[in-house]
Amino acid sequence: MIEGDQVLMSGNEAIARGAIEAGIRFCASYPGTPSTEITEYIMKTSDRRDIHAEWSTNEKVALEASTAASWAGLPALCPMKSLGLNVAADFLLNVNLSGTGDGGLVIVVCDDPRGHSSSNEQDSRFYSKAAHLPLLEPSSCQQAKDIMPYAFEISKRYEIPVIVRSTTRLSHTRAIVELGEVPDIEIESAHDIPSNLYNVPRPDFKHKQLLAKLDDIKEDFEKSRFNKLDSSDKRVRILASGITNRYSEEAMRKLDLEDIEILSITTTFPLPGKSVLKALDSATHVLFAEEGQPFTEENVAVLFAKRKNRTVPELHGKIDGVIERYGELNVDKVAHALSRITGCEFRPVPPEFEERAQKSRELLLDRPPTFCPGCGHRAVYWAIKKAKQRFDKPVVVTGDIGCYSMGIFYDSSLDTMQAMGSSIGTASGLGQLSRFGFDQKVIAVAGDSTFFHACLPGLVNARNKNADLTFIVIDNNTTAMTGFQPSPSSHIQRGETFSVDIENIARAALPDYIDIGIASDIPATTDLIHENLTRDGLKIIIVKAVCRLAEREDSKAERPKVYIDADSCIGENCKLCMTQFGCLAIEWNEEEDHSEIENHLCVRCGDCIVVCPHDAIRRG
Amino acid sequence: MKQHQNILIAGVGGQGNLVCGKTLAQAAVEEGYKPVVGQIFGASRRGGTVQTHVRISNSNLGPLIPRGDVHIILGLEPMETLRAAIEYAGPETIALMSETPVQTVDSLAGRKLYPRLDELRGSLSALARRVYSVDPTETLEDLGTYRVQNSYMLGALCGIQTARLSKESIKTGLIEIVGRSQPNTEAFEEGLKAGRCAVSE
Repeated sequence: MIEGDQVLMSGNEAIARGAIEAGIRFCASYPGTPSTEITEYIMKTSDRRDIHAEWSTNEKVALEASTAASWAGLPALCPMKSLGLNVAADFLLNVNLSGTGDGGLVIVVCDDPRGHSSSNEQDSRFYSKAAHLPLLEPSSCQQAKDIMPYAFEISKRYEIPVIVRSTTRLSHTRAIVELGEVPDIEIESAHDIPSNLYNVPRPDFKHKQLLAKLDDIKEDFEKSRFNKLDSSDKRVRILASGITNRYSEEAMRKLDLEDIEILSITTTFPLPGKSVLKALDSATHVLFAEEGQPFTEENVAVLFAKRKNRTVPELHGKIDGVIERYGELNVDKVAHALSRITGCEFRPVPPEFEERAQKSRELLLDRPPTFCPGCGHRAVYWAIKKAKQRFDKPVVVTGDIGCYSMGIFYDSSLDTMQAMGSSIGTASGLGQLSRFGFDQKVIAVAGDSTFFHACLPGLVNARNKNADLTFIVIDNNTTAMTGFQPSPSSHIQRGETFSVDIENIARAALPDYIDIGIASDIPATTDLIHENLTRDGLKIIIVKAVCRLAEREDSKAERPKVYIDADSCIGENCKLCMTQFGCLAIEWNEEEDHSEIENHLCVRCGDCIVVCPHDAIRRG
Repeated sequence: MKQHQNILIAGVGGQGNLVCGKTLAQAAVEEGYKPVVGQIFGASRRGGTVQTHVRISNSNLGPLIPRGDVHIILGLEPMETLRAAIEYAGPETIALMSETPVQTVDSLAGRKLYPRLDELRGSLSALARRVYSVDPTETLEDLGTYRVQNSYMLGALCGIQTARLSKESIKTGLIEIVGRSQPNTEAFEEGLKAGRCAVSE
């Protein structure tokens, strides 16, 4: 691929390509949907292009490592998902003051409105406001690429991080992108890091300096070619940012409205107030089309509030509710908002169609995400369930973030699920409540990548405070949910990386008991879990599991087939393998009244064999 | 092209929904269009509903097909075809449905009943202008793999002759995306035959 080529690219790939065209030398990241493909794209050519690209232990470490590269003069990229920025925020709200040296540092944060692949729908733009850092919101795949060199230019000039915000619909949209030139940079050697890379003893002085930088950046943004803030005599203006530009254009066409001008703001913080006010001049109505919270809407409202003795247009959006404040935007939502503002009618489908659609809806069944056939997590949750049944006291199970989060949908195997590392953190609290009469035993469940990402402080706390809990680490040797990136403990490491052993780290915390289990040996895992429930103290069980999606395709064929012996299956009266174990590869044969293995789905793990009380599931 | 064409690919995680989207986009590029593909993956690949929006035009459209504006629903799974129709179908919609159901956790467990095919077809007919359905089971069993159902359905899409894109470009696109593997090519050809014989309801 060379300069001038027109290539189909996702928004994420375009961001990565833009960073390569900006001449990055360093990229550190933690995988998280919808941001993962940025780093993956860079990794594809990182060796050839002499770029250091790594999956870091978590987003904070990734940001710290990228900043260090920038300090040493190397342009660095740090992509992450929305919630990742929460993890990195502590460092971010310090390094904004300390500065990033002359290398250049761009943070790409991918928000997930509607939470397609996230446990919340946070608007990460507020971090740019909190940290006083410039923010760019590209509106198309092409602009996502084009804006990256600009972002680096600003970062280098002002020696602070620049935040580029994408959303799922941009990150995961493919469109034609015209490529630019990749600079032929000789391997730059790193230089000494600048002096004074700390904020004490006078953080307030550093704060003052940062605010002065922000004033200058605002002036730069007044002239930015990435905004489209033309004057207009149209009565209604839409101020769009990010992908909502496209929705606004289409909504306007759909309603066949002419008295509307779409303005586009890409440099959303610090807001270039003069050009925005000029572009909105003489409008009677302004609609803010933005994903997330009314961020730009509030910033513009402040601009108007400061303007004295002038008429203010009616401001519409998420504050007055013409667009709902939760969920993801689309053409229909913008069209509805326009119809409410202008009074023109909008019906996406005729009413009779609506009725028929409503009736058809009754036929639909939900499809909650579930474990793949043969997934080790299902086996572990089955063992937990059996151990809980055998145990005489109630048990609470705290969950974490990864494929095993789907325990929520698996017979409510998890009672809680919040942030990375929260399984052991919340368990360390619950495990200290016995003197207040909390008499439930506590199990915390996390995976290998999450163990390293955020469980270690919780584990240390649990040991230090002598919390009574059982910590189950399901080690399937990969970061499965985001597409099988190696975790620090993975056997197969990329390039020069070195495997870090979970068991050794866990033992170093000096737990009262530590055991190793194998997920596919369900009876033994059940015994282990039950035994540890009867004990007091800090107990750790590391369960080795296999991700069947990451497993080699031919490993399945090496195992003997699993089948159901029709004569032994007692049929309708049991159905336990289907109603409770719930593997998608077991189906019901209505005519013959027994269950059946779907061979094209079965991975021949054999986990279901012990589940059948009648020994009807066999191998051979 | 005077008007753009919106194709919605409806299926379940793991069915090759994204491959279909990429193939159609590649085919559109071959013909000089500027396609835009909106896709959602992540948690949904684990057995959840997956919809890919393919928009073929000469301009840079947004990634989501507006409600009522879908021209073709390419349904890789029967119930998901209906789900897509309920959410996006309109007066111009033509639905092409695969007859191979993917059960849900609840239907497997017997807690809920997976709808009958004739019920689904009936409901679809009330929402779409034309409905075609094809059954890839025999072909897939002969080929010994269910992983090429997407190639079969792309073939069927060419067979019913509603896509603006030519059979040749879709085939080229498919080879570009999945390679020239024998099961894929064969599934495509079988799908093409089935599509040509399919009669709309």
